[in-house]
Amino acid sequence: MTVIPMGPQAALAAGVLGALSLGLMRKPPALALRALAVASVAGAMLLAVCSATGGYASAIVLTDSKSIGWQYLIYLGALPLALWLDGEDDVLVVLFLGATLGMSLLAAASNLPMLFIALEFMSLPAYLLVARSRPGTRGLEAAIKYFFAGGVAGALFMLGLSLYYADTRSLAASMDLTPLGQAGAGLMAAAALFKLGAFPLNWWLPDAYEAAAPEVSGFLSTAMKSAAVLFLMRLCELAPSAGFIAFLPAVGAVTALAGAVMALRQERLQRLFAFSSVSNAGLLIIGVGAWAASGRSSEGVSALLFFLGAYAFMSNGTFAFIKHSGLETRTQLKGRGAAMPAAAAAFTILLFSLGGIPPTGGFMAKLLLLWRAVDADLYWPAAAGAVSALISLAYYLGMTRELWLEAPHGPEPKPGPGAPLVIACAVGVVLLGAAPWLMSSLSGALTR
Amino acid sequence: MNAPLTMLWLTPLAGAAVCAFLGSRARYGALFFSMLFAGLVAGVACGQSSGGVLSVVNELGPVWAYGISYRLSADSLSIGLIALTAFLNLICVAASWELEVPAGYWACFMALASALTGVFLARDLFFFYVFWEATLIPMFFIIGLWGSSNRLHAAVKFFLFTFAGSVFMLLALLALVSAHHRMTGVWTWDLAALDASNLGSAAPLVFWGLVLGFAVKIPMFPLHTWLPDAHTEAPAAGSVMLAGVMLKMGVYGLLRVALPLFPTLSFDALPILGGLAAFSTIYGALCAMAQTDLKRMIAYSSIAHLGFCLLGVLSRTSQGLTGGTLQLINHGLTTGALFLMVGFLYERAHKRGLSDFGDLATRAPYLAFFFGFSTLASIGLPGLNGFVGEFMALSGALSVLPILAFAGVLGVTLAAAYALPAFQAVFWAPAGPGSVSGKVTDLNLRERAVLWALSLLMLWIGLAPRPWLAYFEPALRGLVR
Repeated sequence: MTVIPMGPQAALAAGVLGALSLGLMRKPPALALRALAVASVAGAMLLAVCSATGGYASAIVLTDSKSIGWQYLIYLGALPLALWLDGEDDVLVVLFLGATLGMSLLAAASNLPMLFIALEFMSLPAYLLVARSRPGTRGLEAAIKYFFAGGVAGALFMLGLSLYYADTRSLAASMDLTPLGQAGAGLMAAAALFKLGAFPLNWWLPDAYEAAAPEVSGFLSTAMKSAAVLFLMRLCELAPSAGFIAFLPAVGAVTALAGAVMALRQERLQRLFAFSSVSNAGLLIIGVGAWAASGRSSEGVSALLFFLGAYAFMSNGTFAFIKHSGLETRTQLKGRGAAMPAAAAAFTILLFSLGGIPPTGGFMAKLLLLWRAVDADLYWPAAAGAVSALISLAYYLGMTRELWLEAPHGPEPKPGPGAPLVIACAVGVVLLGAAPWLMSSLSGALTR
Repeated sequence: MNAPLTMLWLTPLAGAAVCAFLGSRARYGALFFSMLFAGLVAGVACGQSSGGVLSVVNELGPVWAYGISYRLSADSLSIGLIALTAFLNLICVAASWELEVPAGYWACFMALASALTGVFLARDLFFFYVFWEATLIPMFFIIGLWGSSNRLHAAVKFFLFTFAGSVFMLLALLALVSAHHRMTGVWTWDLAALDASNLGSAAPLVFWGLVLGFAVKIPMFPLHTWLPDAHTEAPAAGSVMLAGVMLKMGVYGLLRVALPLFPTLSFDALPILGGLAAFSTIYGALCAMAQTDLKRMIAYSSIAHLGFCLLGVLSRTSQGLTGGTLQLINHGLTTGALFLMVGFLYERAHKRGLSDFGDLATRAPYLAFFFGFSTLASIGLPGLNGFVGEFMALSGALSVLPILAFAGVLGVTLAAAYALPAFQAVFWAPAGPGSVSGKVTDLNLRERAVLWALSLLMLWIGLAPRPWLAYFEPALRGLVR
């Protein structure tokens, strides 16, 4: 099969241009815009499948196994939002496709300036997406906060990049670093940790996730998080001797614990899942640390891929449930299981999966990731990760209890559309959890 | 049948799925699948013991990523506990028959039976852990949805406690598997292939991690605090499954995983573990004595009874092991019967305090008879099942560490001291001023049939224990020190 270099990115770029052109019309056709959003993401996914068979590398882009694998994750995380977009607002479609294109470019970037361009390309539309997805000033405030955090991250990266270049005279991978280059690599890693929401660089994240529409939060916590993890991994590859790599497991452990503890007392669901996303980011950082510590093994890559893949279902599914049910707080959740049994049962499965209870994909994901850490002799980070999972169970189980076991409270909710999406995500995590063989063939194919 | 063992855990699971969609007719689905499940277990048990020789049935699947493989195996220990699961499951369905409960109730019980069967069958530690955790989910809903007043608290406490224990068990398993890979270059979760000597200096940590996971489940003092709440708040049938089978998972885990993998370490730990087990027997009995709630009293008595099982098993003598294992079955039958009867009382009078009743023997003679019978079996009257198990477990302990056996004997004495006064207060003492005995009608035919089934088994094991002991002996022979 002939490989089209940058085919997926071309499909997304075509989508952006198409949406912009449709937007020129007096009344943009909503259906066409919706179809365009779904078709671009699905087309990109298809083209990524085609390019999985052959490698392509140039000075600025490459398609290695990680690049392809992460593109799947990004499109998988983006697809639910493509399905949610109602097409009434053509700008939202453009912003969404633009952000996805940026993530996709990031997955393919092979040198530092390209990484920076991709980082900005995915971040700028994301700020506007947060601001525009829900009317009102809250979204605007959160978007500005998000923008400043992103601006700091971009500036850190740029500063780090110049220090790194000053030291190595190279924009590609380099083995030997002087303290100057070490500082540069550290600053660039800080930018990646900012994007991932590592503690204490996570202050912007709960506000952004809470203010955005739930489906946009789902997009940010899955596709964006996948891209950010790859960003961190690329930095580890470009500067394999950098000092920051040794700190990643500890940073991850602190983040996992802090996220879980802060989620405990949250009343608003979107804010709670934002902190839960911070906690999961912590586990991912432990995973990246374990991968880097074990000589960047392919097992480490598959563990991260599997975790992010399962998380794409779990997080998109939970945010889709929030959108579908219209419930905003834990109090409103009380006793509502019976009113929407199918979606609520699916949500419960997703909660159990997030809590890491077998036989679900979330359990397998946590198991594989922590196993990598144990295997790399990172016992304390692994134990911290397990304890964070234990703490997180308090609120996942608490929500299950509120949903099913407690008496209803307040006005009856009016469920909107979207139940099939929640159910599809729940089916996804059950399949991932009940089928170790599925994982073995999938990750085998991706890391070949 | 090509895959009888897979059918064993899939049948109740299919039953759960069917029940969930049957609506108000779910009880018929539950009854059908419980009977099918019990029939299958009987079939496997008969096939296993054909020709007077007990064989081990194996089912080996392919090896997947990271050495995870689907392997099931059933020796007499597994089949014995699965038979207990199937029998009590059927009893629970029959006992709950007239309850006004939705389809989910029946589906949860079937799903629980499936997961428990998986625990007893799995020989791949990954699957063992998955089934182990999967038991928590249906029980969480059984307690939380159909329990009594304080059910929410009890359900969450139950889940968190056991999950916390098993997280350490999982980390221990991961370390075990990783150490094996480091030494041999092979990934495997196969219990038979793993060798704890690869662990080196980390072995004690891994051993105690495993023991922690199992001890929470047993439950051994001081990790027992979830039990009184969970057992008391669960619906009657839920308490039967909880005490009857789920507590046995802990002892089973010791027998199946911890003792074979760590033969020396587990023997070195005997003073600590045995001491805690002996203390559990006395502590459980003393706590039971202080209770004013009949159900809570039986819950605490479970802690004491499981202490006897542990003493026998940890002694690693032939009579201790077989006696301790038989006591697992005995406790399932007697405590199951007692919990059911408290449930029947509660259905009628909505009370279960010791002082809420009196003079029930004249009002409900059948109930009095079965309650007395089960109480006597529970405190170890010779001729009934409890005596055999406790006697053998204690004699096993006596030959290894006599002090533990003495403590155990004290526990036996104390058992009579809490069980008989409770029986007397409810059934023979004159009814007090606030008594609700007037609301209690005697057992109906269905309830009597359920209790007859349990009582006859207690009598059978008590009068003719030999075949039962002989049945378990081959599976435990390898553990004798």
